[in-house]
Amino acid sequence: MGVPTKEPTIETKAVEDTKSIGNTNSPKTKKKRLTTTHRISLGDVTPNNLGQLKRLNSVLFPVNYSEKFYKDVLEVGEFAKLAYFNDACVGAVCCRKEPIQGTIPEQTKLYIMTLGVLAPYRNLGLGTTLLTHILHHATCGTPTAPKFIEIFLHVQTSNEEALAFYQKYGFEIIGTVEGYYKKITPPDAYILSKKLVKNI
Amino acid sequence: MRELPSRESAQFKQILKYYEFKQYKKGLKAAEQILKKYPEHGETLAMKGLFLNHMERKEEAREFARKGLRSDLNSHICWHVYGLLHRSDKNYGEALKCYTHALKIDKDNMQILQDYSLLQIQMRNYEAYNESRHHLLQLRSNNQRYWIGLAISYHLLENYETAGKVLKAYEETLKEKPSSMNFEYSEMLLYHNLILEESGDIKAALEHLESIKGEICDQRTWKEKRAQFLLKLDRFQEAEEAYLELIDDNPDCYSYYEGLHQAKKINVNSNNLTPEEEEKIITIYKELSQKYPKSNAIKRFPLQYITGENFKTLVDEYIRAALRKGVPSLFVNLKNFYDNPQKEKIIEQLVEGYLQCLKKHGTFTPPNENENEDDIIKEPPTAHLWTLYLLSQHYDNKRDNTKALKSIDEAIEHTPTLVELYMTKGRILKHGGNISEATKVMNEARELDLQDRFINSKCTKYMLRSNQPIEAENTIGLFTRGDAPDPITDLMEMQCMWFALEEADCYFRFNKLGKALKRLHQIEKHFSDITDDQFDFHTYCLRKVTLRAYLSMLRLEDQLRSHPYYLRSATNAIKIYLKLYDNPKTAALNDDDQDYANMTEGERKKAKSKAKRAALKKQKEDDEKKEKSKDEQKKRIEKPIDDDPEGEKFLKTDDPLGEAFKFLMPLQELSSKRIETHLLGFEIYLRKEKYLLALRALLQAYKIEKENATLHKDIIRFKLEVTSNRSKIHPTTIQVITEELTSKILPEDMNLIKFSEEFIERNKNSIEHLLVGAESFYLIDPSKKQEAGNLLLKVYDEKYNETRTLQNCISVYEALKNTFESPKAEEFYKKCKEWFPISTYFNQETK
Repeated sequence: MGVPTKEPTIETKAVEDTKSIGNTNSPKTKKKRLTTTHRISLGDVTPNNLGQLKRLNSVLFPVNYSEKFYKDVLEVGEFAKLAYFNDACVGAVCCRKEPIQGTIPEQTKLYIMTLGVLAPYRNLGLGTTLLTHILHHATCGTPTAPKFIEIFLHVQTSNEEALAFYQKYGFEIIGTVEGYYKKITPPDAYILSKKLVKNI
Repeated sequence: MRELPSRESAQFKQILKYYEFKQYKKGLKAAEQILKKYPEHGETLAMKGLFLNHMERKEEAREFARKGLRSDLNSHICWHVYGLLHRSDKNYGEALKCYTHALKIDKDNMQILQDYSLLQIQMRNYEAYNESRHHLLQLRSNNQRYWIGLAISYHLLENYETAGKVLKAYEETLKEKPSSMNFEYSEMLLYHNLILEESGDIKAALEHLESIKGEICDQRTWKEKRAQFLLKLDRFQEAEEAYLELIDDNPDCYSYYEGLHQAKKINVNSNNLTPEEEEKIITIYKELSQKYPKSNAIKRFPLQYITGENFKTLVDEYIRAALRKGVPSLFVNLKNFYDNPQKEKIIEQLVEGYLQCLKKHGTFTPPNENENEDDIIKEPPTAHLWTLYLLSQHYDNKRDNTKALKSIDEAIEHTPTLVELYMTKGRILKHGGNISEATKVMNEARELDLQDRFINSKCTKYMLRSNQPIEAENTIGLFTRGDAPDPITDLMEMQCMWFALEEADCYFRFNKLGKALKRLHQIEKHFSDITDDQFDFHTYCLRKVTLRAYLSMLRLEDQLRSHPYYLRSATNAIKIYLKLYDNPKTAALNDDDQDYANMTEGERKKAKSKAKRAALKKQKEDDEKKEKSKDEQKKRIEKPIDDDPEGEKFLKTDDPLGEAFKFLMPLQELSSKRIETHLLGFEIYLRKEKYLLALRALLQAYKIEKENATLHKDIIRFKLEVTSNRSKIHPTTIQVITEELTSKILPEDMNLIKFSEEFIERNKNSIEHLLVGAESFYLIDPSKKQEAGNLLLKVYDEKYNETRTLQNCISVYEALKNTFESPKAEEFYKKCKEWFPISTYFNQETK
């Protein structure tokens, strides 16, 4: 608590697609914090609260996202969400659907563009709430929105905490992109992936 | 020619039916058919006029009504129609005359009598209203509404006894009582009870109340009334029980607790409760809180009355619970306690303590030393946030800009998505004197949540305060109706007064006096519309038997213009008209530089370029809109053409003082306890050289607040003017003035200098009074300019710390610089820069 420390979040930040589930304490001793009563809830991203998402991203990630990013976010439905802690907006997840070219019927992957929680609100289960929400909707497809075969993302190689977080939910490292980040060191990123449909 | 042949006569009867059923088009057609054969038939002509009036063809309507009346002066229909037309034009006086004529011809005509009585009550002509109601009841004594009408007329004449008798007589005519849950009957009984209560016979009222218990639907009111009556009759034991029962119904209603205090004979109004009384209060509320653990009122109420350690213990609990839960309005709830400086200090210490602990341990109070860091149950991170938020508001309240800004910035860094934080930051900047930065922050807040109407309106208000009317109109337009021709028209229709008031202020600062007056007259129109709107309720409420609400509406309407909005708009309108009178040329000037005359160089440049940019943007948007919505536009309501957008007609008045006086009259009638009313009256009378009236205004102001700073200056001005105009004033007038002044305000052996010296001495901690004192010396003896200026430099003294507000310092600086031309003015400016680090006024680069 106290004045939010910025450095750790920046370290865990990727240029385009990083998730900042950072803890300012040592990751080894990470432990869910005990607090008195609180409420966690998720909400839709709408044109009216887009300002809050922009504000969150500007604090969480060292990147200015384009107007197109925010326009697309309004179209993905359940795959872009704001997280509220005691009614304060403190975190968000934004995904993008990526059709695989040449597959018939067309198959789609889900890419997590950003997932982050404000520093003072970490280790309270908000990141988990956001990620489980995405996983849930990615697996239980509807007739109009088919299931995704895979969900994936990039994580900066030094971000042990984010790695641990995603691995806990069944993500695996399937590759490394060298020089993925332009402005931060190390510039390399792991590709983390979780297969959602068996036998593919 | 009155009688129509039988065919047409039947048709005419049909016409009357059409009117009754509001089939105006059919009625018009039928009337025209008759008129083809009998073009001079007066009553048909009149009816045609009436139909036209309802079809918004007012000009023709009046013509036909007049024609009808001319052809048939002995027809009650023609007179009635003419009266109705006057009524619809709100010429109530003329309408009354027409009805009187109509009744002379047909004295028992129900319809006319009915309309007649409506006008009488609208005009508050209670005697005549009473007569009409008598007449109506005589004609229809079997109808409830006429009995009630008569009772109301006696009630308004404060003849409670007869009013009560009328209702009682009616109740007795009812052969059987209506079934138990009859709302109208129940309301009538409660109204009957209200008459008894207002007659002052509380004992009778209570007896009556007990007797009607079984018939009352509104049990809440019944219980509240009973409790009030018991209190008034000093039956404290029963009153206490009654209030406890009410608290059981709703444990969050403040007035029940006030009743409980009275029943328990705790005099909470005295500032110093004895320790025993404090204990008593604590015990009462402890018991109550066990019974109603969720009631917020029970937690908050005792804090108002207890002090010292008791206060500290309870307020500590109260604040912590609210911070944990996240109650944005917490500071507003606490602010009431700040009347007591000791309590303010306690709150400050507590909250500063929480913050330290939250930073260190994540808890409000330090944990036990032997506790393991991991086992501590921490407060939610939002508690830290709301603590910072509360603290920044607390510092802002003390006008400690620096600390307030530091806390709020910390809060914003903690959770940058919360609208409330930016709003508070905006307010802090505004209080610190940087309105343009404040507006920027408010706009950031608005952009975080575009569907929040409150923040949208706040932001609009800040834009007006920072002289950006075009941006403000665009912003408020986001929430006005989409199908309105433009935001301003919609706001006007909705009678939205805050916006008009702020915009008028904004134009006043720009010196666009015409536009400002236009807005202020619009507010006056809203008030007269509200007065007119009560018309329909005279019949509606009698029919629906919502009598208690009706009475309170009548009373509200009588006091309508005592509303703060009216006071503010009238004050500004009067000030503008005074300005027009003093500088008739202002009206003609309208070039750009004049617009910004009241601003400093820097502000002027900024405002100009801003206005230009905004105008361009608006132009562009308007063009786009036009392109986009050519089809839509057809659907939209045509924009009414405003033939005087700049309000020129107000500027061109020949009699600004007369116009000012029109705004003053309602204030004199309804706001006579406000000193502003009399100070404004003084300004008007002095300019009209009505010295006795000016004197009366001064005496009335003196009665209200004799140490008022403006009043002191006005007394000096008055005395000086009367002295210098002595030759022109009637000797008797002079004599009255001298006698009144010496006996009430200015003792004979005291000269004006001494009078002012004592004035400063009596108000020795107030900068405002010091300034007026200095100005007075200069007024009395213009050769003493330098001395007066030097006197004002006392402003540095420590004793003035408390009143050294931004506004006061701006006034002092401007007086030093412009009035006294003091060489020390710039030195003072530099000092102010230290005192008000974020104020734009004291931080201009050109200095």
